[in-house]
Amino acid sequence: MNEHFRIAQKLGLMFLPNTTIPEDISSWAIAQLHVKSPALGIKQVRWHSHKPKVLEWPQSLQPNLQKRDEMFWALKENMEKNRRNMPGFQTKADKNRNRQENLMEGLDALKFAHRNVYGEDQLRLRLNAFWANHFRTANIFDNGNHIGHVIEEGILANLNGDFSNLLYKVTSHPAMLIYLDNTYSAGPNSIEVQRAKRNGRQAGLNDNLGRELLELHTVSPTANYTEEDIKGAAKVLAGWGAEPGRVSGDKLISLAERNKEIKKRGGTLNSWDYFKSDFAEPGNKTIMGKTFGEGKGALRKLTDFLAGHEHTIKYISFKLAQHFVSDNPTQPDLDHIESAWKSSNGNLDKIHTAVIERAIASKEPKFQWPMTWLFQVIRLSGANGFKGWEEEQSDDYNENIMRTNQIFEELGQGFWLPGQPNGYSSDKSEWLSGEMFERRIRFATSLYTAGSPTQKVENIINRIGANKSTRELIDSVNGNQKKFVALMCSPELMGLKSA
Amino acid sequence: MPKINLTRRQFLKVSGASLFLAGLPLPGFTKDEPPGTISVILLEGGMDGLTAVPPFGDPNLSRMRSSLTPENYLELNSFFGLHPSFKYFSGLMAKNNASVIHATNFPYTKRSHFEGQNLMQGGGLNPFSEKTGWLGRALDLAKTPGRSMSLDMPLLLRGAHANDNFFPASIRNSGSLKTDLINMISNAHAEEGSSMFKKVSKKSTQQDSVVPRDPASLARYAGKAMAIKGGPLSSVIKVDQFDTHASQGSDEFGRHGERLTVVDDIIAGYKEGLGDAWDKSIILTLTEFGRTVKENGTWGTDHGWGSAGLLAGGAITKSRVISKWPGLAEGDLFEKRDLVSTIDYRSVCAACIENALGLDHDLIADKVFFTPSLPRIYDYIFS
Repeated sequence: MNEHFRIAQKLGLMFLPNTTIPEDISSWAIAQLHVKSPALGIKQVRWHSHKPKVLEWPQSLQPNLQKRDEMFWALKENMEKNRRNMPGFQTKADKNRNRQENLMEGLDALKFAHRNVYGEDQLRLRLNAFWANHFRTANIFDNGNHIGHVIEEGILANLNGDFSNLLYKVTSHPAMLIYLDNTYSAGPNSIEVQRAKRNGRQAGLNDNLGRELLELHTVSPTANYTEEDIKGAAKVLAGWGAEPGRVSGDKLISLAERNKEIKKRGGTLNSWDYFKSDFAEPGNKTIMGKTFGEGKGALRKLTDFLAGHEHTIKYISFKLAQHFVSDNPTQPDLDHIESAWKSSNGNLDKIHTAVIERAIASKEPKFQWPMTWLFQVIRLSGANGFKGWEEEQSDDYNENIMRTNQIFEELGQGFWLPGQPNGYSSDKSEWLSGEMFERRIRFATSLYTAGSPTQKVENIINRIGANKSTRELIDSVNGNQKKFVALMCSPELMGLKSA
Repeated sequence: MPKINLTRRQFLKVSGASLFLAGLPLPGFTKDEPPGTISVILLEGGMDGLTAVPPFGDPNLSRMRSSLTPENYLELNSFFGLHPSFKYFSGLMAKNNASVIHATNFPYTKRSHFEGQNLMQGGGLNPFSEKTGWLGRALDLAKTPGRSMSLDMPLLLRGAHANDNFFPASIRNSGSLKTDLINMISNAHAEEGSSMFKKVSKKSTQQDSVVPRDPASLARYAGKAMAIKGGPLSSVIKVDQFDTHASQGSDEFGRHGERLTVVDDIIAGYKEGLGDAWDKSIILTLTEFGRTVKENGTWGTDHGWGSAGLLAGGAITKSRVISKWPGLAEGDLFEKRDLVSTIDYRSVCAACIENALGLDHDLIADKVFFTPSLPRIYDYIFS
């Protein structure tokens, strides 16, 4: 590929057809860090007619966090009504309607895919995916309305600030607090635990988020922290998090009553700033030799301390380099990113710029994640790969394109699937299997047969400046469909070495 | 292209497990066939051994975990019970075709999922020290390279080059695989990509029936494949979501119990699929750690150390609970919180390899687990 497309592939999502290609690609890449794009997408995929028009996502399908929390509560309240055999909540149609009206995971996954396919901020979206994976908040229970919000409002909206701010925003977000079980965690000496003891109830600490905050999000095990440090972090976190579902035990209540109860417990309806003093651990906590006080403000102090820790800088610099530069980054790659981190006190623009510089300097191909590859080949070919937003939730959906989370499931990668908090590996050795490669063949085939690509193979290879190996591969197979699949699964477009 | 329309319910179930098969003898391979098959069920997240196989004879059990212990447990002996989710497994115990190892795990005590999972699959001496897995190395030593099946290739099976994977695809409008096209793509790639596309090419020439992706069906499919003469000698199924820090539940409807039911269904699926080959099969579970003895404040348990291992298969001819019970009193626990592992689970894995692949224990200890002094406990399990 020519230098422009090589960099667009390694760092971004490829230039859409009809995009003017910038002259100075390195400057373009760095300037991309500040390009903002609204959520663009399509309403419907119309078959055998014109290409769907790219529009801004309707505001009505992008509820704010409070609305999302209320919808999730309603979902659970309606499920309780189903359990009680109440009329209006029993048929399949009733249950589908409840999900369609109150659960965001399908639409959020589609919006994420649309942004990646149609967005004008391709490099930011790659960084967005990197950090969404670093701060993985999977969908195991009660998280269907929050993951999309943390990816967009927690991460994408905070990509130009400091890492310390990003860390705090994500750690205190309900998607993380729910996923890693912090919502009910109570300090061993908290009011809640004393109350529970008196009433013969159970309450106490849960160290899940405290552990992963240290192990996965910041310093990593190389820092040699102890179980006591993990417990200390869990104590700082105790109190954070709003109840994601029903709040009334045996009783069915109104939304107004629900909101009153939520406000009573945490003082606010804002689940992104929700601290229950009753659950908090009084007194000082020591974590890795540093003392933190009590109360809500201690979390920010803890995340700031961890964000600036030398082991955090080393660990995340390596992860960034491995994702964007090379499976086996060199010491100069790492030094360059670490030094940008240190000299800017963790400014993400500076860190990301350093990553871009090293990714451009290294000529090594970088194997692309399944989801990144899919977005890239859709953008290159102008095919329809995802449904329109009107089709995603509808019962009467377009049979030709699968629902978004099923697509991600088939790819073996997606942020709305269940999964472990360490996220997906950037090292290609984790992705090498016959089945994984078969999926690439199948998705390329399906884009050709059902996605109505607007770009011919010949146009694409000329535009990207495909290398000799890719051209020979395409020449060696007969028929437009095979040529299309061969191009998309060529070493060049997968980010692998040619024979 | 098989057209599978998954309902949401099936879709969710599907994401709970994936299957890997391995070790197909190469055509023309002349060595005597290994004596049996070995299958591993990977339990990701940390299975709670005290819920799966509760030691009712220990007076501290109910004191330490009031909301987690099932009341309708199945009795194994005067000391141990079996979780009510294990209905099928308990039947195998009664038929002398299953055993339990208790208070066991790999010698790793630092409670990280990811270090622990790396060690339980890699079998190395330190986290992330190995690029291959213990089962992959064992298959390589037994000189039975060949096919394996799934979406990704788990570390556990890496190390035998010819291992392949299988996991049924369900992608609309993707047609049938075109062997000539895949061969051309394979030729264009350097070795690492090329070797993967070669596996796709080989698969494109085979007729596969439609396989549902629920765990029991995958196990049945794996069992059938292993029962065929010249079929794979090993398979792996992964079950996730054992990491129940909150609202763990106690009975078969709880979060942990529901996962244990999946394990029970998998074992039943294997038995059905293996048919007569059951007699020479061994199935074992593997988990990165057990869970804290004491219930935490959110009706769940945190990361611990010792857990239980389940063994099933016709290779077992006498059912036992094999345990050197360390006790649950605070002074008996590791760092005052975890069940101590008194049996090195690597010895259990080694015994299963010895049984299924016919390798010598000393060779396994040295070349598979890099621990020449690893104790041999074969006779406790298979005599």
